[in-house]
Amino acid sequence: MKIITITQEQIQDELLNFLSRQFFVPVSEIDLDKSLVDTGIIDSMGLIEISAYIEQEYRFKVTEDMMHRENFGSVLKIVRFISSQNGKE
Amino acid sequence: MAGIKRCTHCILSENFPSIEFDEDGVCNFCRDKLLFSTEKRKVEEAREEIIRMFDNARGRSEYDAIVCYSGGKDSTLTLKLTVEKYNLRVLAFTLENHFTSPGALENIKKVVANLGVDHIVFTPSKKFMVNLYRASSIYDIYNKRTLTRISSNCNSCISLINNTALKYALEKKIPFIISGFTLGQIPVNAIYYQNIYSFLKDSRKPVIEKLKKYAGPEAANYMEINGNLLNRVKSYPYNVNILCLENFTEEEIVRSILPLGWAPPKDVDGCSSNCRLNVFNNYVHEKKLGYNPYELELSHLIRNNLLTREEALEKINDQPQEQIRLIMSELEICDNDIS
Repeated sequence: MKIITITQEQIQDELLNFLSRQFFVPVSEIDLDKSLVDTGIIDSMGLIEISAYIEQEYRFKVTEDMMHRENFGSVLKIVRFISSQNGKE
Repeated sequence: MAGIKRCTHCILSENFPSIEFDEDGVCNFCRDKLLFSTEKRKVEEAREEIIRMFDNARGRSEYDAIVCYSGGKDSTLTLKLTVEKYNLRVLAFTLENHFTSPGALENIKKVVANLGVDHIVFTPSKKFMVNLYRASSIYDIYNKRTLTRISSNCNSCISLINNTALKYALEKKIPFIISGFTLGQIPVNAIYYQNIYSFLKDSRKPVIEKLKKYAGPEAANYMEINGNLLNRVKSYPYNVNILCLENFTEEEIVRSILPLGWAPPKDVDGCSSNCRLNVFNNYVHEKKLGYNPYELELSHLIRNNLLTREEALEKINDQPQEQIRLIMSELEICDNDIS
């Protein structure tokens, strides 16, 4: 389980590493503040994979009301979302 | 694909995205020990959670699970395990795409009868299915990264199956949609997930718009779920891929399902046990992207000692040319259409 003091920088590094491995894309090609769907890195299934990754790595339930563009619209938004939830439970 | 450079351990080829070979010709995916150990841990975590979810839900609805049943060997084993190992009350669901092998149709009848499960078959209009496959073969409906694990036609078909299964699950309040995907076909993070359609529909819009344009406006009816049904939803079902929890070789799978009356169909290629279209789908994928859509899946089996490299190569090289030409004729597609 992740410790609750994990920094946003660490979360971002781990997320980029996950995206790179999972979707066969070099980290350098991932635009941090653009939609991963709009930039063609993931499709709808990719959103599911990211959601599952968050649940499994950060041990909190991603509920329906959390699933919107404000939380999943870019790498930076996902990082902020994880950071905001991490350690709540 | 003769003469193409491949990993000397698995069968990933030089055109596969992000591939790098070391001096021994071994690819970066085979060298990635972290990926391997992380996967084992996640499979065990998924197993615990899936068993817990099944135990909590069993017997609470008319059906515990809808099982997507194509008649292929993997979905046949999935159906058997759902009934016999997990003891769930099952509604089997088959989408008849007009290209299912006659042998697979016979298998479907025998297996559902022998397992004693309820079964529904949805047969979309042949006109639409031909238009869907034509569009998916000719036009760039999906982005290239979506196609690392699957051909464009298979992706269209599976999207249709998933959407139809979700409709049935929502209508009948069935808590689980179970499919026969294995690791390699899907990533470890997708062994189980809640199918929250409302979250995903925006990301599907660009694809559905292309399908409406190239396959016909009725694509929306097949690929989307209408608002009336969504407004009644209290909870979305979980998609679960229970074969990802198993480690069967192909021989073990076949041996396990033969007693159900299943027999290998004769008019399919080396990578399919139910669909006549598959060989053509692979042909299109190789022509457009330069690698076979089964490379990742079969390489995963090699790394887990469930298939030899020679067996994998035999599978992807089993591409009956007369079958490809027959399908092209049925879809009214010529080589110039695929570029």
